[in-house]
Amino acid sequence: MHWRFILKTIGVLIFFFGLTMVFPLIVGLNYHEQSVTALLESMAITVISGLLLYLVFRKDKAEVINQREGMAIVAVGWTTVGLFGAIPFFLGDVYFTFTDAFFESVSGFTTTGASVLANIERLSKWLLFWRSFIQWLGGMGIIVLSVAILPFLGVGGMQLYKAEVPTPVPDKLKPRIRDTAMILWKVYALISLAQVVLMLLGGMSLYDALCHTFTTMPTGGFSTKNASIAHYNSVYFDCVVIFFMLVAGINFSLHYQMLRGKTLAFWQDSECRFFLGAVVVLTLAVSLNIFGTVYKTIAEALRYGAFQVVSIVTTTGYVTADYEKWPAMSQLILLLCMFLGASAGSTGGGMKCLRIMLCFKYCYRELFTLVHPHSVSHIKIGGKPVPDDVMRSVLGFMALYVGLFALSSVLLAGLGVDFMTAVTAVASAIGNVGPGFGMVGPVDNYAQIPVLGKWLLIWCMLLGRLEIFTVIILVVPEFWRK
Amino acid sequence: MKIIIVGAGEVGFHIASHLSQENKEVVIIDRDPGAIRRVSDSLDVQVVEGSGSSPVVLEEAGIKDAEIILAVTDSDEANLVACLVANILSSSTKKLARVRHGDFDQYHDILREHAPHIDNVINPEIEVVKTIESMLRVPGAADVGEFADGRILFIGVYLDKASRLAGIKLAELPDKVINNRPLIAAIVREEELIIPRGDDRLMPGDLVYFISEKDKLQDILAVFDKHDKPANRVLIVGGGNIGLRLARRLEETANYCKIIERDAARCALLAESLNKTVVLCGDGSDQGLLAEENIQDMDVVVTLTDDEETNILTSLLAKRMGTGKSITKISKFSYFPLMKAIGIEQVVSPRLSAVNSILQHIRRGKVLSAISIKGEQAEVMEALALETSDIVDKPLKQISFPKGALVAGVIRRDKIIIPSGDSVIQPDDRIIIFARRQAIPKIEKILAVKLEYF
Repeated sequence: MHWRFILKTIGVLIFFFGLTMVFPLIVGLNYHEQSVTALLESMAITVISGLLLYLVFRKDKAEVINQREGMAIVAVGWTTVGLFGAIPFFLGDVYFTFTDAFFESVSGFTTTGASVLANIERLSKWLLFWRSFIQWLGGMGIIVLSVAILPFLGVGGMQLYKAEVPTPVPDKLKPRIRDTAMILWKVYALISLAQVVLMLLGGMSLYDALCHTFTTMPTGGFSTKNASIAHYNSVYFDCVVIFFMLVAGINFSLHYQMLRGKTLAFWQDSECRFFLGAVVVLTLAVSLNIFGTVYKTIAEALRYGAFQVVSIVTTTGYVTADYEKWPAMSQLILLLCMFLGASAGSTGGGMKCLRIMLCFKYCYRELFTLVHPHSVSHIKIGGKPVPDDVMRSVLGFMALYVGLFALSSVLLAGLGVDFMTAVTAVASAIGNVGPGFGMVGPVDNYAQIPVLGKWLLIWCMLLGRLEIFTVIILVVPEFWRK
Repeated sequence: MKIIIVGAGEVGFHIASHLSQENKEVVIIDRDPGAIRRVSDSLDVQVVEGSGSSPVVLEEAGIKDAEIILAVTDSDEANLVACLVANILSSSTKKLARVRHGDFDQYHDILREHAPHIDNVINPEIEVVKTIESMLRVPGAADVGEFADGRILFIGVYLDKASRLAGIKLAELPDKVINNRPLIAAIVREEELIIPRGDDRLMPGDLVYFISEKDKLQDILAVFDKHDKPANRVLIVGGGNIGLRLARRLEETANYCKIIERDAARCALLAESLNKTVVLCGDGSDQGLLAEENIQDMDVVVTLTDDEETNILTSLLAKRMGTGKSITKISKFSYFPLMKAIGIEQVVSPRLSAVNSILQHIRRGKVLSAISIKGEQAEVMEALALETSDIVDKPLKQISFPKGALVAGVIRRDKIIIPSGDSVIQPDDRIIIFARRQAIPKIEKILAVKLEYF
C-alpha cells in the first residue's frame, strides 16, 4: 500500500473541499450574519490541513494505484471529509457537541438527512445552507467530483470511481472515466437547476429553493424548516418534490441517454421499470390503506401516501405527514421501502432495485431447476446474461447488508434504546433514509440517541453510502496484511 | 480522438494502456470475459464483450464516430473480417490490421485499394526481422531505431564501467570528445527516464540514447568504447516464421548463417526454402550440438523459439560458451526489466514491434515513424513539418514546446542539422522529436495541421 500517496490524495481532497466553503460564506455575508466568522475559521483550518498534508507527502508519486488503495482512499477520504465538514457545525453553533456535529455532517454527506436538532429554524442561514450543500456534494459523490475536475488523479481515477460507485453492473458512459464523471455531474447540476426554477415558480424564496433542491436531488432530506416540506402545505410543492425525488432515484446514465434524445431509455431499462412499478404499486397499497382510516378523501390519501412512499423508497426522508399514526400495514411497507431503495447509479441509497431484482431472479432460477433438474438457464438483465461473479457479489452484498443491519440494531438496543427505535434507526441509517419510527420518527429527531449509539449510526451511514464493501473492507485483517 | 481496439491480448492491451495514458478515448473489444476483466480492472478504457467482427458489437462500441480501428487479435481472419465489417459500417474510419501470415506479404497494397480498405497491414514478424537486422548492423547497441530511411539512427547503448565517458558531466563532453560528439537525447537509469541537461552526469550502467548519422556511427560508438564489428556469422535457434524470414534476409546480405530447429519436418521445409543456410536438426539448448557447431566462433546467436524461457536460457548458455553476442526474442513484457540483471542486453519482441508500428499510424500529423523506448516511458518520432503546422517558420525557442520533449534533429534534404534555440524549421523538413509520454498529446497538437477539420 502506498500510504503516503493515499494521504497526499486525501490532502488534495480536503484542500478543495475547504474551498467549497466559499458558497455558504457568500450566503452568510449576504445575510450579514455575525457568526459567519466561525465559517472563516473552519475554512482556514480545512484548507491549511489539506495543504499541509499535501506538502508533507507531495514527493510521493504512484504511477498506478490498485483496487485496494482506491478503496482505502475513498473510505478514509469520506471519513475525513465528514470530520472537516463537522467543523462549521461545531464552531458555528453552541448547541453542537463534537459527536453531534460529526453526526450531522456525516448524515449530510451520506445524504441520510438524520438530524440531532429539534429546532433547526434557529440556526444561522449560512449554517443551514452548509447543511444542505454538503448533501448536494455527497449525493453524486465527492470522489466522482474530484475525478471530474482534478486531472492529477489520472489513471487512479478509475479505481476511486469504482470504490465510490460500486454498482453491480458498471456502465461507463464514455471511454474515459474523467469524461464519465464530468457527464454525471453535469446532468446532476442541470436537473438541479430545473428544480430550483420550478421551486421559484411556486413562490419559494431563492434561498429555500436552493436549500431544498440541494437536498432533493441527492435524496438527502434535510430541510430548512422544522416541519420539512409539510411547512409549505402546498400541493404544487409536494408534486414538484415527488417528481424530482423520483428523477433522483433513477439511474443517472438513463437521464444522460434521455438528454441525448433516446426518449425510450427509461422504458427500455428493466431496473427502471421495476423501480417505477414498485413505486406505483406501493403507493396504491399505502393510499388505499390510509384512505378512510386517516384521510377522508382519496385525493388526500394519494397525495400523502405517494409523497411518503416516494420519499422513503428513494431514501430522501422528507415528511409531509406523521406516518406513525398510520395503520400498521402502511408503516411496514414504509419500513420495507427503506431496504428496497432506489436504482443503482442513482443518488438514492438502500439495497438498490437492481440487486433485489437479481435476487428474485436467482430465487426463481433455483425453483426452476428443482422442477427441471437438467435445465440450463441464465439470469438475465435486459436480455443479457449476468456473469456469475456479479451474481456472487450481489448475494454477498445482500448477506452483509442484512447481517450488519442485524448486528447494529442489537448493539443499539444494547445501549438502552427501545426495540422499534433500534431496528428502524439502523435500517434508516444504513439505507441513508433519515427518519425512522419510535424515538426517531417523522416528527422526532436523533437527539435522544446515546453518544455511542450516534457513533454506531455514523458508521452505518458510511457503510450504506459507500455500499458496504468499501468501508467494511477496512476492518478485514487481510486488507492490512503486507 | 476515439480509437477502437479489437482484441485484448498482449498487443491490444499494451496499445490500449499506452493510448489511455495519453488521454485518448479507447474502446476495447474482446470475446473472452477474462481478458475483458483484465483490461477493465487496470486501464481507463471502455470495454465491450463480444466478437470484433460482429456489426452489432462494433456499433455498440461506437464505430461511427471512431477515428481509427485496430484489429489486433491473434487470428488473421478475425482481423480481416473486423476491418471488412468496419469498412461497411463506417468507411471513413482508418483501419489497421495485424496480419501475420506470410502469404499476405505481397498483398498489403491490394488490401488497401480493394474491399476491406485496410489503411495499414501490420505484420509484427516483418517488423521484428527488421529490428533484428538493424541490431546486427549496429553491434554493441541495446536498442536501435532507424529514421529517414535508415540514414539516421537512434541508438541506445549501455555505458560500461571502463568507458572513458563514465562519470563525466554532459557539459564537459566537448572537452573530452573533440570529433564526432554524440547528441545525447535521454538516459535510462534504474528504470527511470532522464532527459539530461548540462550538469547531469553519465553513470556506468546507464542506458544512453543518442542520435547519429549512419556514416559516423562507428566513430561515435568508439567514443562509447564499443568497438564491435558488424556481425557476419549468425546462428539462429528456432526455425519458425521469424527464423525463416531472418535467414532469408541474411542470405541476401551474404552473411554466414546457421539455423537450428528441433522439428525434423520443419527442418526439411527450411532446407527446401533456404539455399546457403546450414539447417541443423536438434535442440538449441543442447551443449553438445552447440559445441559441435563451433558456437564460440559465431558473432551472434539469435534465439527465436516460441518458448521465451528457452530463448533466455539458450542465449545465456551460448554466451557462456563464447559467442560474442546474443539477441533474444521475448514476448512477455513483464520480463523486460529483468533482462539487464541476468546479462541479456539485446531483446526483441514481435509484440513490442507491433505496438511501435501501430503507434506510428495513430499519431496525428504526418508522423513517418515512431519508436517507443525501454519501458515505454518515452517515444521518438520522425515527423514531416507541415506547412500549416505550428512548428514551421519560427525559431524553436519561440515555439511553446511542452516539458519533457525536445527536437533532437532536423533533416533538410540530405543534411542533418542539430538544432539550437535559434534554428528555424522549414516546411517539408523532417524532424526527429524525442518526447516523454505525458508530452505526446501536446506534440501531436503542434505537429498537426491547423484547422484540420474545416
